Amino acid sequence: MRPPQSITAVLRTPSSSKSTSRIFTRNAGRKVVASDPQNEILRRSLYPSNIRNKETPTGTWRPDVMKALRRAIPSKQAHETIERAWLLHERHMRWKRNEEAERKFESMRRAMAELEKVDPILFKEANRVEDPRKRTPAEVELSKSLRGAPKKAMESRLPGLFPREMRLPTDTPPREGWVYNWRP
Amino acid sequence: MLGIQRACRRHVFPILSRRNATLQTSAEGSSQIPPSLLSTTSSATVPPENARSSTDLPTKSDEPSESSSAPKPRSKAIVPRRRPNISLENPRKWNPPVKKGLLPAYDEAMKLIEHDSKTLKKEATELRKRLEALSGGASGENVQDREAEVESIRKKLSILDIQAYINLPSVRWKAANGMADMTKPVYRQLVEQKWRTRGDLDLLMERIHQMNVIPDLLPTFHPSLDLRITFPEPPPQSTYLRTRVKRRHTAVEPGSYLLPEQTRRAPRLYTSVFHTETRLYTLAMIDPDVPDPENSSFTTYLHWLAPNIPLSATSKSPLVLAPPLTYYVPPHPQKGSPYHRYCLFLLPQPDAAQSMKIPVIKDDARRGFNLRKFCENHGYDVSAGGGAHMWREVWNDTVSDIYTDTLKLPEPVFAYPPVQDRYGEVKKQSKYSK
Repeated sequence: MRPPQSITAVLRTPSSSKSTSRIFTRNAGRKVVASDPQNEILRRSLYPSNIRNKETPTGTWRPDVMKALRRAIPSKQAHETIERAWLLHERHMRWKRNEEAERKFESMRRAMAELEKVDPILFKEANRVEDPRKRTPAEVELSKSLRGAPKKAMESRLPGLFPREMRLPTDTPPREGWVYNWRP
Repeated sequence: MLGIQRACRRHVFPILSRRNATLQTSAEGSSQIPPSLLSTTSSATVPPENARSSTDLPTKSDEPSESSSAPKPRSKAIVPRRRPNISLENPRKWNPPVKKGLLPAYDEAMKLIEHDSKTLKKEATELRKRLEALSGGASGENVQDREAEVESIRKKLSILDIQAYINLPSVRWKAANGMADMTKPVYRQLVEQKWRTRGDLDLLMERIHQMNVIPDLLPTFHPSLDLRITFPEPPPQSTYLRTRVKRRHTAVEPGSYLLPEQTRRAPRLYTSVFHTETRLYTLAMIDPDVPDPENSSFTTYLHWLAPNIPLSATSKSPLVLAPPLTYYVPPHPQKGSPYHRYCLFLLPQPDAAQSMKIPVIKDDARRGFNLRKFCENHGYDVSAGGGAHMWREVWNDTVSDIYTDTLKLPEPVFAYPPVQDRYGEVKKQSKYSK
């Protein structure tokens, strides 16, 4: 079996020849407006329309696609070149991002190695993974007395997650200025 | 539409000028065929005067009355010529598909691709210098490290050599249009990619497996080179033109039916090989469907065996086979037998550089030739790659000619044993009693 063809491969082949057989079209476009379309459905299923001037309802046969593609894409070669250039660009971006991330990771790793040599206890502290959901007993007491928005902030707005109440960044500063005594 | 490649090539037939039939031309048998299609050696045909081109064709069969007088000036017929097919011998220049400024995305894409190509080429030259420096000096201590570095540089270079050119539209266009320079790795890569991914290899494997060539003749086969064959096209419908038209060679689709008259002479073999070093291959052509009535089964027949064929990326096409070889016997599917499969294999020899001494198989030893045993005896590794092809044939009158002329054997005719009619006796009796 030949592998599935890409858009450029589709463009390579000429459009299929349309049959020029005689079609009797007297009742082809007959539209019967009736409350019960049963007869119409029966008629259409027994004698389906064979006028080929638009695509099939479910899109299994689309004769206009080739024409539209040929107008949209002036050259298959140009399309391929642009596609390759874009993928190449994306590859370079990916490599750059990965390199930057690797550099940062390497720098962090070196710093931690240095810390290990210098102070093992601090190194252990730095390596500890905190569960953001953990609460100290004092915090638990506090949460019992809270109600409403501050309670919600304590329970569901965990450190490490995206701050949902963050002020949306805008081009210009707000008219009211910075809110210094903002509470959740 | 700009730059759209036309899949169908319009055949331009030359314009012929008709002339009124005269006694002379009717006696000679005037032909309406253009001179280019006529074989120059056939003396039976003479084209009419007006349709003749200025230069060629000997005037052997001119009437004596004509030759006595001064030769008439032959008017040139304007025959629009078709330029030769694109190839390395007849190259064409790549032109950009869109004019500059028409498609800004294309211009930007070209800038990016060309910049990338330049960068990679620079990197490649630097690596080459490093390679030279490494291979030049040899200090005994860190030879292993040096070798490891050389290996890694070589690997990187092989990638860079391809990546520097693979995005260039001119390179891709040349590879897609028969002008691939197989000395360069990028072209080898592109041609191989096309063969493997654009359907040709898939078609071959489909035919080989669906027609059971692979379990019948060899256990497995995974081609590593593209083998294409051409046979002359089938004869024209009209018997008048049969002997007057030179038949062109056309490519054979694997698994398709051919006529015995097309395969009377050996095919032309064209290969696309993707390794630069010269390796030796053995060609074998086998028919696994020869009827064996003694065993109520089928047996094999070896049609062609040619060892020690040197192939590389730069070897010439079509292949030239050197003796000693088991000469080509034309396919002769017997009358009454079902269709025969004719399978061609290019098997890589176990030692790619060493010539093998394979004896010429005698004519009586061709029937019953076992390819599996042959490979085992001579040490062929069947899963090491190679090339394959196949076609099918069925009996027709030409096979009788092949038996009388080429094989010089009596023609066998096969048929299924007649089915016994159980009610034969009953049928003879009268149904209606008196």
